[in-house]
Amino acid sequence: MPELSIDGRKVNVPEGTTVIEAAEQLGIFVPRYCYHPGLSTAGNCRMCMVDVENSPKPQIACNLPATEGMVVETESEQARKDRAAVLEFLLANHPLDCPVCDQAGECDLQNYYMSFGLYDPRFGEQKVKKQKAIEVGPHVMLDQERCILCSRCVRFTDEITKTGEFGIFNRGDRAEVGLYPGETLDNPYSANVVDLCPVGALTERSFRFKARVWYLSSTESVCGGCSRGCNTELHHVSNRPHLNDGERLLRVKPRHNPDVNQWWMCDEGRYGHDWIDVDRLGEVRRRTDEASRRQVESTWEAALDGVGTALSAGGARVGVIASAELTNEDLFCLREVLGAHLGARIALPPAPAGGTSDDFLIRPDKTPNRKGATLLGIPDAATPSAEALVDAAIAGELDVLWVFGHDLVELVGAEKTRAAAVGECLLVYSGTNDHATVSLAHWVLPSAAAVEQDGTFVNCDGRVQRVGRALAPYGDSRENRRFLLEIAARTGTPAREDWNGPAGVFATMAEAVGSFAGMSYESIGDQGAHSAPSEALAEAEQS
Amino acid sequence: MIEALLIKLVIAAVVFGGVLNLAGLHTWVERKQSALIQDRIGANRAPIFGFKLLGLFHAVADAIKMFTKEDVVPRGVDRTLHALAPFFSVFFALVAFAAIPFGPQLVLGERVIDLQVAKIDAALLYIFAMLSLGVYGVILAGFASRNNYAIMGSIRATAQMISYEIALGIALIGVLMVYGTMDLGKAVEAQGHTIAGGWIPLWGIVAQPVGFVVFLTAALAETKRLPFDLPEGESEIIGYFVEYSGMKFGMFFLTDFLETILVACLATTLFFGGWQVPYLQPDGFHFPWGAELPLANWIYVLLGVTSFTIKVLAFCFVFMQIRWTLPRFRYDQLMDLGWKGLFPIAVVNVLVTAVVMILLGGGA
Amino acid sequence: MAVKVVQRPQLTFWEKLYIPQILCGLRITFRHFFRNLFLHIAHRFGRKTDVRAGVTYQYPEELRPLFSRLRTRHRLMVRGNGAPRCVGCMLCETVCPAKCITIVPAEHPDPDVEKFPVRFDINLGVCVYCGYCVEVCPEDAIRMDTGILDIAATSREAMKLDLHELMNPELRKPVAACGLDFPHQCGVHGGELRGSWEETLAALTHPE
Repeated sequence: MPELSIDGRKVNVPEGTTVIEAAEQLGIFVPRYCYHPGLSTAGNCRMCMVDVENSPKPQIACNLPATEGMVVETESEQARKDRAAVLEFLLANHPLDCPVCDQAGECDLQNYYMSFGLYDPRFGEQKVKKQKAIEVGPHVMLDQERCILCSRCVRFTDEITKTGEFGIFNRGDRAEVGLYPGETLDNPYSANVVDLCPVGALTERSFRFKARVWYLSSTESVCGGCSRGCNTELHHVSNRPHLNDGERLLRVKPRHNPDVNQWWMCDEGRYGHDWIDVDRLGEVRRRTDEASRRQVESTWEAALDGVGTALSAGGARVGVIASAELTNEDLFCLREVLGAHLGARIALPPAPAGGTSDDFLIRPDKTPNRKGATLLGIPDAATPSAEALVDAAIAGELDVLWVFGHDLVELVGAEKTRAAAVGECLLVYSGTNDHATVSLAHWVLPSAAAVEQDGTFVNCDGRVQRVGRALAPYGDSRENRRFLLEIAARTGTPAREDWNGPAGVFATMAEAVGSFAGMSYESIGDQGAHSAPSEALAEAEQS
Repeated sequence: MIEALLIKLVIAAVVFGGVLNLAGLHTWVERKQSALIQDRIGANRAPIFGFKLLGLFHAVADAIKMFTKEDVVPRGVDRTLHALAPFFSVFFALVAFAAIPFGPQLVLGERVIDLQVAKIDAALLYIFAMLSLGVYGVILAGFASRNNYAIMGSIRATAQMISYEIALGIALIGVLMVYGTMDLGKAVEAQGHTIAGGWIPLWGIVAQPVGFVVFLTAALAETKRLPFDLPEGESEIIGYFVEYSGMKFGMFFLTDFLETILVACLATTLFFGGWQVPYLQPDGFHFPWGAELPLANWIYVLLGVTSFTIKVLAFCFVFMQIRWTLPRFRYDQLMDLGWKGLFPIAVVNVLVTAVVMILLGGGA
Repeated sequence: MAVKVVQRPQLTFWEKLYIPQILCGLRITFRHFFRNLFLHIAHRFGRKTDVRAGVTYQYPEELRPLFSRLRTRHRLMVRGNGAPRCVGCMLCETVCPAKCITIVPAEHPDPDVEKFPVRFDINLGVCVYCGYCVEVCPEDAIRMDTGILDIAATSREAMKLDLHELMNPELRKPVAACGLDFPHQCGVHGGELRGSWEETLAALTHPE
């Protein structure tokens, strides 16, 4: 355990720790381009140079193992001069693209130049022209001029995805990053190179020119693309509707969580958010004509009254097809309001087979909260399958069939769906997006998407993680929890007032469900916490 | 007899027509003169068939505007008095002009015509009476408006007019003593004399310089012109005609200008020799160095009328210049000036005049 | 409490008399009056035209000379090929304190330009004429030097300028025809996307 001193502060670090990591432990940030904790050390950008006592020249902190008694200065005059000199080199051929560069505003070149730049430039020569705006893959755009050759992207494709599309070609000031001949950057994690790139050389094609990054608001959330539950940051704009063709969510970035996704996320999850702003259900609909099944716009009051009346009719037989896209809080309310009190039979269709997966992050189950539903006892052993519920509805054994999110046509086929819709059974649909089932329902209740409400998901490893409310509910849609509580009020179901907030529901849930015992909405935090079944991990966390 | 009546009618028409037109022109002069003083251009639009005539038609446009504007009569006012008040104002201002002699006697064959609408022995008293009656217009306007502000404005105006009337009257006593007559025609004739070996005409200004200054100041206050325009204070102070609009307001406005002209006429008549031209006697020029230039009677009359007109216009000009030079008095300053300044000065002036006249032995 | 004694100026005897002071005032007004009267008459005869008799500008016919730094209606600078010089960096939209600028950028075929606005609207009814947009522009693409001050309209809609009027300050609402051949959200044609880059780029092989 060598003890070293950084900026006059002592720190003990394990053998083999580099100075940059030791500084990190002290909360001292050393500027860097090529160094990334998730990648191997390259040591080629020279930005992290620090002053080491008794060393004849400055050392790069990212590749300097800490030794006993080492004295490091990161903010000395010499260190600052070194950085200014390095920046001068890096900027020698860097184009003045900031106005058109999507990286501007979150660019490390800009940021470090503000702190350490040589404000009086000495470079009078012509900059080297390279290729601009190269589409290297379905998601990534490359600008060779802007590249500072830190090689983070090359190392990522070599070490993390092991696909090796990127390489650095030529030498000297003509060195450039590029694809090997015949290659395309189309691996399932390709967009991570954009996050890695400290400058604007690699940018996202889907975000290209959509907005300036300083317009973005950020909300911490969890990806709902599969049961992995990668931690994300949602970037959205609410006050400039002319941007991004009116879509509110502009991009998703992975958020560091060492226990789930480290620094990465897959392209599928990153770009699978179109549904949040496209084909959304924005208004309550009511079937007006039984024969033609014509629907008209209605109001929440009418819908809640209508559904509530049907549910509270004496001896109403209720079937619910729940969804693993719902948050734990929604599922719990559903269970309490519809299941426990009204005796509804709650089905949860299994994940469709054939989902892509790999041995890194991507999981075959494309729903984010199946584990949570299981922990809440949905479905329990007694409940039938979704198909059985639909059959019961066709046979007239159900008075109300309430479908959450699922497209029945996909689950049981178009014929059965239509048969269920024309029967005596009241078909209620609540969900976020428009599809075939929606037009067949008696009542359509638009739900808020996961990013439009607060709540928790449980990922495939049993980790409870919070979903952040990034946007307001689309149109007239409401959180599932909110209208379930309204239904509770109309059917005489006991529901607690503090269930209006996610913390309140979670507290009740923690009392009622053993897996969540001892947790609270606050204690989950932004990094998540393991639910009870994985006790070994929970203990490890506590220690 | 009918002939005499016709002649009087013609004279009356000429006088009142001239005076009213002059009042109308005053609006234009007011605009243009203030513009020149303040380095502006002034009203220069209102073209008729492309002719602008330096914006002279603005006066016409104003008149049309005044006549066609909505006449707002507030609810609850005394309609009769409300309508009567501006009429009173204009009427008394206009009839006062009847006593102003604007030229020497015109001899046409055997007929001798006085260039004066009404030859009144006590013309000065008559004019004073008319000026004083003008107060009725003001007090009635405020009273009939049923508006506290208007009443306050009219009371203020009345107080001001009555106060300054005293100084005005006493200032003129000195002149009366010098001329020994109330007849304005005779007063003008009396100013035909010369002193200092015939070099200096003995006009009122020479005989009564202090009287002139007091008269001029008091007259300005009496006519409510700046710097004594507190009763009106067009844009800042609530005055007695707040509840008036259209031509009724226009008549108050007209009164203002008429009184200015009247004061100009009085000042000319009493202090600047009226229609007298220096060294001009009824039979021609008698210059102090001995030269003589005999003239026919009609030329003499023409010169006299021209002289009178020019003097009046010059006074109007000076009044206007004063109006655009001096700031407004405060009300207490106004009363101070009237009672503590002009009134004692006028009284002392009368005393001094009496003493001097006795010493000179020229007085009765 | 500190008492500050204010010395009120005392009038001298001659000032108390008023009359000399009145004459002083009259001297000033008379001087102006006769100077201006003389100049006006001289101007009628074509003399002394270099000296102004009044400070008045006869507004609709005679425009007041504008100071060169006065901020007037905006314009967008145009490249030699008829496309806007703007690269759609949105700094002006960002800095605008009134939030009156709306920009929608798009891909420019020339990778050296990369970005350009398909929509650039300024809502003059909201603009506060602070000039920050001019100050912040890294491309000198927006200026406020058109000298246009008579910005008035009978509707809020007409106060909104789009690419057409901004690139050609001669244009006034309503703009009848669209003369822009690069892709843009055309306000003349109800906001639809019109134009293509082929003609625009053919006009000039390389932008200015």
